[in-house]
Amino acid sequence: MAVERGAATATPVRRILALGGHEFSSRPADRAVCELLLRLAGERGGERPRICILPTASGDTTEQIASFYSAFGERPCEPSDVSLFRLGRRPMALRDHLLSQDLIYVGGGSMVNLLAVWEAHDVASILSLAWRQGVVLAGQSAGAMCWFEAGITKSSGKPLAAAGLGLLHGSLCVHYNNEPERRAAYLDAVGDGMPSGYGLDDYAGLLWEGEGTPSALTARRGARAYRVSSRAGEVAESPLPARFLPAPAPAALREDIAEFRRIKTMRKRAGWLG
Amino acid sequence: MEMAARQIVAFGGGGFSMESGNPLLDDYVLGLTGAERPRVCFLPSASGDADHYIVRFYRAFSAHRCEPTHISLFRREQGPSDLRRHLLSQDLIYVGGGSVVSLLGVWRAHGIDSILREAWESGVVLCGLSAGSLCWFAEAVSGFHGEPKRLRGLGLLPFSNCVHYERGSGRGEAYHRFLREGMCGGYAAEDGAALHFRGEELSRVVASRPQARGYRLDAAGSQVVEMRIATTYLGDRDAPPQAPLPEALSTAPAA
Repeated sequence: MAVERGAATATPVRRILALGGHEFSSRPADRAVCELLLRLAGERGGERPRICILPTASGDTTEQIASFYSAFGERPCEPSDVSLFRLGRRPMALRDHLLSQDLIYVGGGSMVNLLAVWEAHDVASILSLAWRQGVVLAGQSAGAMCWFEAGITKSSGKPLAAAGLGLLHGSLCVHYNNEPERRAAYLDAVGDGMPSGYGLDDYAGLLWEGEGTPSALTARRGARAYRVSSRAGEVAESPLPARFLPAPAPAALREDIAEFRRIKTMRKRAGWLG
Repeated sequence: MEMAARQIVAFGGGGFSMESGNPLLDDYVLGLTGAERPRVCFLPSASGDADHYIVRFYRAFSAHRCEPTHISLFRREQGPSDLRRHLLSQDLIYVGGGSVVSLLGVWRAHGIDSILREAWESGVVLCGLSAGSLCWFAEAVSGFHGEPKRLRGLGLLPFSNCVHYERGSGRGEAYHRFLREGMCGGYAAEDGAALHFRGEELSRVVASRPQARGYRLDAAGSQVVEMRIATTYLGDRDAPPQAPLPEALSTAPAA
């Protein structure tokens, strides 16, 4: 009986998507990232998955929240945001809301502030529980490093090591080849005893699905994920083979094309065009 | 060695954040610095360093009457790199409103909590409204999110504090309950009223609105004693001399 019950309530797969850097724009690589987020959310939530942004690391900027809604607002999903700095104006049941999501996306900004504010609002424990219950955790930049034991943040101006939540073992450095001074600080830190980990260029990502090693993804040619480890005082950096994420056709452009073709057809019929 | 005058002005609400066109409280704190062109640093941390709030600060504290700066802890790559040196060189540090829980979390992460104590002890005037008032006290009644909550502040002032203490806000009831449950005694202020402390003593209550008041609250056994404090309206030049504190007692029975 116990075995059957155990089988019936299988442990949910714990998934985290860490992204080196991206925006919510209509550029192909950004659309590819959004498509991946939608797919991961959909694998758990079905046709209209719930996707929530935590813009904490930015200080809950309107800019970050608006760009998130512009990317997901007209897609098949239920987007929402939890702005911890604005709970006064928009009270919500924080824990229930977060635990009911299919994917929680954490935006970039200050990693130090992100963790400090989460700690103050007791959000860290909710996210850890959500992860164990199968909610996909995702994010870019500070929102990617926060899941690891440590990262390299510019929260205080220059790149420095900072502790993360530690849901994932090891460390992460984002914007890897995009910000050489951050990469240099990371290599030094790993040489000085920071746990080994990964470097992620902008538009490269790592996806953990359950136990074991992550799979590397890239939404832009040339953007790579690296394994960075220290052996006998030497820091080794090796690129990981990555799957390419193709960009879907932009919805807005498809409509434009359709409209253009309609007009062209009408004109042809009316004899306006040769 | 003479100790610098430690001053904190805790607004129940008001100043440029809430009283557009009424500069009385902001003028008051500028006046306390004694400087001709005071150096004023705005800390908008409780708002998440919201851009629109920073812009409003610079409009209210324009460069012709002070030297305004701000520190954005979400954008440390901009602004002063040495936070301690910058804050200790100010005449006035002005803390904006928002989430006091987030404020204290971010301050601790950047070591601002201990720098502010140092600034206070060296004579920099500290002020703020709402979250920027609650933060200075040992304990605070935060009504920012849902039910009013009891939380710890920086503890520069060994009292409790409640802001936006308007009738019917629900904060009064919560504050009384917390006091009966053992919260240390303290002060409440309505919107437009500001508690001016010299050292750890309340020096006076000033207001930007004629009716705004401050209150002293203490638990006495299972009762809470609430005293309304004589308040100086800053807008009236012919105001009568201040009554000694506390005055105008109105003892409220326990709720």
